[in-house]
Amino acid sequence: MGIIKKLPVYAEKVPGGGIVTTSVEGVLNQARARSLWYLLFGTACCAIELMCTGASRYDFDRLGMIFRATPRQSDLILTAGTITTKMAPRLRRLYDQMAEPRYVIAMGGCTINGGPFYYDSYSVEKGIDHIIPVDIHIPGCPPRPESLLEGCLHLQEKIKKEKLSDWQEK
Amino acid sequence: MTKEQLQTAITEKLGDKMTLLDTGRHDLMYEVKRENLLEVCKTLKEDESLAFDYYLNSHGVDTKEKFEAVYNLASTIHKIRIDFKVILPYDSAEIESVQEIWPGANWFEREMWELYGINILNHDNLTRFLLADDWDKGFPMRKDWDAPGFIRMPEL
Amino acid sequence: MGGLKTEEFIVNMGPQHPSTHGVCRLMLTMDGEIVKKIEPVIGYLHRALEKICENRTYAMCIPISDRFEYVTAMSCNQVFSMAAERLAGIEIPERAEYIRIIMLELNRIASHLIFYGVTAMDIGALTPFLYGFREREAIIDLFEMTCGQRLTYNYIRPGGVSKDLPKEFVPQCRSTIAMIKEKLNDYEGLLNENPIWLARTKGVGYLDPKLAIAYGVSGPVLRASGIDYDIRRDDPYSIYDRFDWKVCTRPNGDTYDRYLIRLDEIKQSIKIIEQALDGLPEGNIKAKISPNFKPPAGENYARVENSRGELGTYIQSIGEKKPLRVKMRGGSFCQLQALPHFGTECFIADLVAIFASLDIILPEVDR
Repeated sequence: MGIIKKLPVYAEKVPGGGIVTTSVEGVLNQARARSLWYLLFGTACCAIELMCTGASRYDFDRLGMIFRATPRQSDLILTAGTITTKMAPRLRRLYDQMAEPRYVIAMGGCTINGGPFYYDSYSVEKGIDHIIPVDIHIPGCPPRPESLLEGCLHLQEKIKKEKLSDWQEK
Repeated sequence: MTKEQLQTAITEKLGDKMTLLDTGRHDLMYEVKRENLLEVCKTLKEDESLAFDYYLNSHGVDTKEKFEAVYNLASTIHKIRIDFKVILPYDSAEIESVQEIWPGANWFEREMWELYGINILNHDNLTRFLLADDWDKGFPMRKDWDAPGFIRMPEL
Repeated sequence: MGGLKTEEFIVNMGPQHPSTHGVCRLMLTMDGEIVKKIEPVIGYLHRALEKICENRTYAMCIPISDRFEYVTAMSCNQVFSMAAERLAGIEIPERAEYIRIIMLELNRIASHLIFYGVTAMDIGALTPFLYGFREREAIIDLFEMTCGQRLTYNYIRPGGVSKDLPKEFVPQCRSTIAMIKEKLNDYEGLLNENPIWLARTKGVGYLDPKLAIAYGVSGPVLRASGIDYDIRRDDPYSIYDRFDWKVCTRPNGDTYDRYLIRLDEIKQSIKIIEQALDGLPEGNIKAKISPNFKPPAGENYARVENSRGELGTYIQSIGEKKPLRVKMRGGSFCQLQALPHFGTECFIADLVAIFASLDIILPEVDR
């Protein structure tokens, strides 16, 4: 709150104060990076760690991340847990329902390559990157909340570097 | 009720239909002939000295020579447990449903049908539920099951 | 309005739905707001854990059992180890038994705290979620200092436990359970007499004890319907018979009782942990067994009481280092099977409350 209170005081002293010049890109990227609403999508063990990260001690809200129950309101999908062949088409569908710009964090070993234990399983999808495009991979089985927070910070950095022209083609 | 008491009660009531096996550890394990299954189950549930009202679990086993259908039961009244199994040959793997006696058997039998291909007779809802809807690769829990692209664990 | 023509329609709830605790899908036949028929569709998390276990040694199966029921992974470790120990005839040192009891009960408290938070969140109260997870983190710290993991522990193994307790464990455990005991008053104060909570849960989703027994419903859900059955007492395993505690029951069988019984069980677990900490002996923590031990041919169905009911593991051995067949049985499987038979004729919002009160998690159902 400090900046918002003090800004008018400083701005008025500057000739022509009250007007800040920046690029549209900068404003959009800042807004996108700091209000990543994630889809509440947890399939297996990682979902519990996702809940822990959203709860009291780790507090996702600090990063501007609030859970949403519907894909139409979310910007980010955290695939927390194993994706099986039966679930894969549903994951694709959820991703398709999200509005652009949308981001994906693959949380846990299962979403990266099928997990440390399931490689001789007949029903586990060996990684989700052939179902949906992934921005950040977070390894671990399950990853600690700290690594999840780290991954989200990396995603924010990535969003801040985006160019408007990147979005024109899509 | 202790295990010895249960064993005497079983010998008394169902001595000719249940054979005690020595493979059971900790709990009693019996073998039941396929044709006696329904009769045995009915007695196990309804006889007051047995009263196995609580259906815990049942599942198939593939021993590479034959199938086994294993049933685990408990009694909430006498606080005792019993296991029994039915041996099914490979070429005629089918068994009567026990869901008339214990309604909870429904999903367990469905799973047995889906993963092992053991046909359940008189089952009211024999439809696919664990595997993907478009699954067409056979019965994955069988020991000789294989599919294109399936990676096996290296031999230990 | 008598002449108005209405017809039933189908609502698809899940597999991605915030209150289906994972990936359960319910096909609901609705008459307006009233649920007429429920058809659970499962299998979205079928990872073939049982098939995987058949290709691994007994020691390698323990991490797989963690993934079977990750909210109370200690119980899964315990039940798998128990089945393997009975097959191989392994005696467990005294200290290991005490450590196991402490871990199992701590894990039960942690799981009930998740229940408390998540159920309240499903019904619409967000604060209990933050409360429950705050206290759970204190328990997770204890697990982390002992075995280094937060969720999937791989701690209880055939023959004992993998590591001894660090020396700070006992004092920190005492202070943690004292803290939870105190916080329980907050929990009760927040919900027990809250009029909205009462309106949403009291008399909702009555589960008849006869129906519960017929469908193999177990654990707190069964005991909330008035049936006095707890595996810890009625088919005793480990050393539960040495402690002074009682089995909690509640008479009404509705959602409110299913909530209260979890808080009762937390109190009983605290009692057990206090006694186990007092009696904790010195000594060995692991029996001497080979990592690739080969149990003689035989079979066994071991079962423990975890926070969702009966957790069973059947292992058949043919004298090799790998099991011939592993079957895992979770309480949620039967609870979900029973749901269509008592969850109907209520509002869809009540169904969410009923579903939450059963505390179903899906890996137990799908495996």
